Amino acid sequence: MKKRILALLLTAAMTVSMLTGCGDSKSTSASADGVQEITWMFWDDLEATEDLISKGYKETVDRFNKDYEGVYHVNVVTTNLEEYYPKLNALVAAGETPDCFIVSPGPNLDVYVEPGVAADLTSYLKADGWMDTFNGGEGAFSQQTYDGKIYAVPLNIAAACVFYNTEMFSAAGITEMPTDWDGMLSACQKLQDAGYTPITISAGTAWCLSMLAGYLCDSEGVDTAAIDAGTASWTDANVVNAANKLVEISKYFQPTAAGDTNDVATANFYNEEAAMLIQGSWAIAQINGSNPDFEDKCGVFAFPGTDGRVIAKSDSLAMSASTEHPEAVIAFMKYFTDDTAQKYTAEVGGKIPVTKVEYDASKAPAQLAYVMDVFGNAKSTFGFYNESLATTEAGAAFDDTMVSIYLGTPVEEGLQSLEDFYKNNVWKK
Amino acid sequence: MDKLLKDKKAIFIFVAPALLLFTFILFIPICQSVYYSFCEYNALTKPVFIGVENYRQLFTTDRTMKMAIKNSLFFLVFSVVTQLIAGLILAALLTNIKKGRNFFKNVYYLPCVLSSAALGLLWMFVFTPKLGINQILAEFGIEGPLWLMDTKGFIILPMWVIAFVSLWQYVGQSMMLYMAQISGISTSLYEASYIDGCTKPQAFRYITLPLIRPMMATAMSLNAIGSLKFFDLIFNMTEGGPNHMTEVLATHLYQQGFKYFKYGYASAIGVVLLIICLLVTFFINKFVKVDNYEM
Amino acid sequence: MSKSSKKKNKSSIVVKTLIYIFLSILAVIYLLPLIWVIFVSVKDDKTLFVSPWSMPERLMIENYTFAWSAGKLGIATLNSAIVCVATLLLCLVLGSMAAFAIGRMRWKLANATMTYFLTGMMIPVHCVLIPLFTRFSKMGLTNSRLGLILPYLTLSLPLTIFIMSGFFKGLPNELFESACIDGCSIYRIFTHIAFPLSKTGLFVTGLMTFVANWNELLLAMVFISDDTKKTLPVSLSKFVGPYNTNYSQMFAAIVIAIIPTIIVYCCFSNSIVDGLTQGAVKG
Repeated sequence: MKKRILALLLTAAMTVSMLTGCGDSKSTSASADGVQEITWMFWDDLEATEDLISKGYKETVDRFNKDYEGVYHVNVVTTNLEEYYPKLNALVAAGETPDCFIVSPGPNLDVYVEPGVAADLTSYLKADGWMDTFNGGEGAFSQQTYDGKIYAVPLNIAAACVFYNTEMFSAAGITEMPTDWDGMLSACQKLQDAGYTPITISAGTAWCLSMLAGYLCDSEGVDTAAIDAGTASWTDANVVNAANKLVEISKYFQPTAAGDTNDVATANFYNEEAAMLIQGSWAIAQINGSNPDFEDKCGVFAFPGTDGRVIAKSDSLAMSASTEHPEAVIAFMKYFTDDTAQKYTAEVGGKIPVTKVEYDASKAPAQLAYVMDVFGNAKSTFGFYNESLATTEAGAAFDDTMVSIYLGTPVEEGLQSLEDFYKNNVWKK
Repeated sequence: MDKLLKDKKAIFIFVAPALLLFTFILFIPICQSVYYSFCEYNALTKPVFIGVENYRQLFTTDRTMKMAIKNSLFFLVFSVVTQLIAGLILAALLTNIKKGRNFFKNVYYLPCVLSSAALGLLWMFVFTPKLGINQILAEFGIEGPLWLMDTKGFIILPMWVIAFVSLWQYVGQSMMLYMAQISGISTSLYEASYIDGCTKPQAFRYITLPLIRPMMATAMSLNAIGSLKFFDLIFNMTEGGPNHMTEVLATHLYQQGFKYFKYGYASAIGVVLLIICLLVTFFINKFVKVDNYEM
Repeated sequence: MSKSSKKKNKSSIVVKTLIYIFLSILAVIYLLPLIWVIFVSVKDDKTLFVSPWSMPERLMIENYTFAWSAGKLGIATLNSAIVCVATLLLCLVLGSMAAFAIGRMRWKLANATMTYFLTGMMIPVHCVLIPLFTRFSKMGLTNSRLGLILPYLTLSLPLTIFIMSGFFKGLPNELFESACIDGCSIYRIFTHIAFPLSKTGLFVTGLMTFVANWNELLLAMVFISDDTKKTLPVSLSKFVGPYNTNYSQMFAAIVIAIIPTIIVYCCFSNSIVDGLTQGAVKG
């Protein structure tokens, strides 16, 4: 009997090894035929995606693999955004950092720069004039620079603007775009009087509401650096004012704003159920893709009353400090910032290119030109609030506080809880 | 007989494979986790030992933790009680009908086999004010509440919603376990009781209930542990929001560990969770005392 | 037939009808959301947001073809099947062996061993993810199916042992005594008496293990990078983009992913019913 059980176990073990034997893990470094293999990790699936920027990345990867056939080859590892950082961190912890990975600037990038996971790219950028192809030269890298060293390469820029329905605006008798806070409120009032929902926004997806809150804080002169340093606080008068403004404008939101997700809020806009949408310019692709007829009716203006400051966000590529093939990675990165890729970014993806590329404005979505205007007229830019505070958690705490204030928590009480969070988590260090 | 059941070698052969696997793949990492809970560790740098600092923070300054403990305990009580009652009722009803028993049982068990991530997404959809039930309610002139965003009350509405969805999803499991156990009860017992003039409810009370007590303890412990570890539905329906009001221990652990990479801190939450689980199982097994009935 | 028993019959019919009405209403509550998923899966995103509850104007079958090809669901289904079936078989064998020793045999450490296994059920998988991944990556087990089977198996063992030991405890003593008198070895008692008699328990735990592993996302997401080894839940998450989600295609993919589960489930659950009735007859 014993033998039979043993035999059973052995068979089971054999089955397992057979099952797995057929697929041993591939080595990520140089393969036998001298091709340098690198991995790139990205937060969206390149096949199943509808996101036009992701589709552009797929073309870039294919182009790179074709051009460098027999020399370099890039393998793409994808997850969805939700599991991206968990997986990346697990890989780093196990010493298998992907050679190249995408990352958002701000505290997300800090995490990889501080322990030396991300490599210093300054010398590569300066070596052959690569840096000069960027708009603004070294200035393009301000969010990626630590102590004068550049740790990541931006690929495109998205700016947060107000998208509006031109038909509704003229029907409501608004001829001039609002340029200050009072103008914004009176425009909202006119729209409401004309029977439209003035603003569609998502409080269900916290960062959407927080984008508006970020603009309001900035227009009140809230200095995040001072707050991080502990010289200013969340209960200061200017933050209170900003929060009060948020409460003030919230009566113009669509009635379901509290529960609507990002997708629903955007759909409200392109399905012409609301007049304004405050969103990043990545929404252009989603708007035009879902309702192509809407492109002509969609206008864009800069969020009013911010003294020419615009929220901007870029996707960036970082290189692993432990990669065995830095040349391959750099060659790969250059494919993302070459003219073909950057042209695509503008003409198809609807995001602002980072290089000085010439692109065909007539091919690009109509809204891009307006966004470019907004961006070009901006006196300065600042990051998303939740990506420019001390830590990612502090950013999330800001988002949550703003949502809770919108949902009815008294302003002082909400801000006090944010202040408490900072006392316990940020300032003590 | 005794000698046979005390065969040390046989015991070893039976237990060893499972024990080895368990120790190497689960227990050692758990121990590592316990160690990390005393460290500041973000998975990217080496862990630094900081003593009980994580635990001190957890119980003094972390508001979300208080919320999470409250919600987890609510969840625990709700699901243990409702699953026990609903599961027993369903099992009793289904064992008493013949036609369509299979159909109903399959239907009630169906959500258990579907991924709770997908179902969470589905329910989030249903409770979205713009898309879901509220649209239907509006047809009847009722303004539906903010199912997943309401923040009033001690136990807020979203928690009740999630609790009922989880009951909807998992009651089939308890039902199945009870049915399996009821089927093991000899029919002659029932026949004898009917001859003695027992009604069906009486038979259920005096025969079925006592005889399935071991399974009740099992199912209740399973529910208790499951509800404390509860993650997927909440994560997909509210992600712990609004403002951490629907956070439970497992989601708090995930957020701290994988969103903010405070891996040591997250491990501390895990240890707290483990201790609560151990206590709860201990009490359930103590109070739902398992007597050895012969069936 | 006497008058009273007729009355009883009548009232029992009323009770039966009430039971059936109750069960049917419940069944509707259970099926409606799932049917709605199928509706959503054949709409396009735009109409989904405008009128979520309306009948689809045009069947968007291409949602399915797109989901199938772009999500690489074919290979993903195969991977899921390999991983889950292997885990299931190993788990039932190893788990019930240990459960038999714990539930039926007499040794001092039986309860302690049970508690030891139970701790595994109480730890959320997130807690062990990073230590486990680091270990597996050193052993070269990441990015392979075995690297998923081993943790799945280990995570399923506690539940299997927990439930199966309950079942073994419930088996009548006489059976074992008579087998013992017949001169059976302990191994034979296990393979020929205990194991076959706990069929129902095996099916229930088998189903639970299979389903849990079939739907597991986090481990699979972190452990597997290679597209050819991804499991179904990982492939489903491909439809969640960074800024927007293709709901209708994702729901199409979900429907595709559900179908095998339902097939497996129907096979298993009918066996459970067989097991149940068998048990009743034998008892």
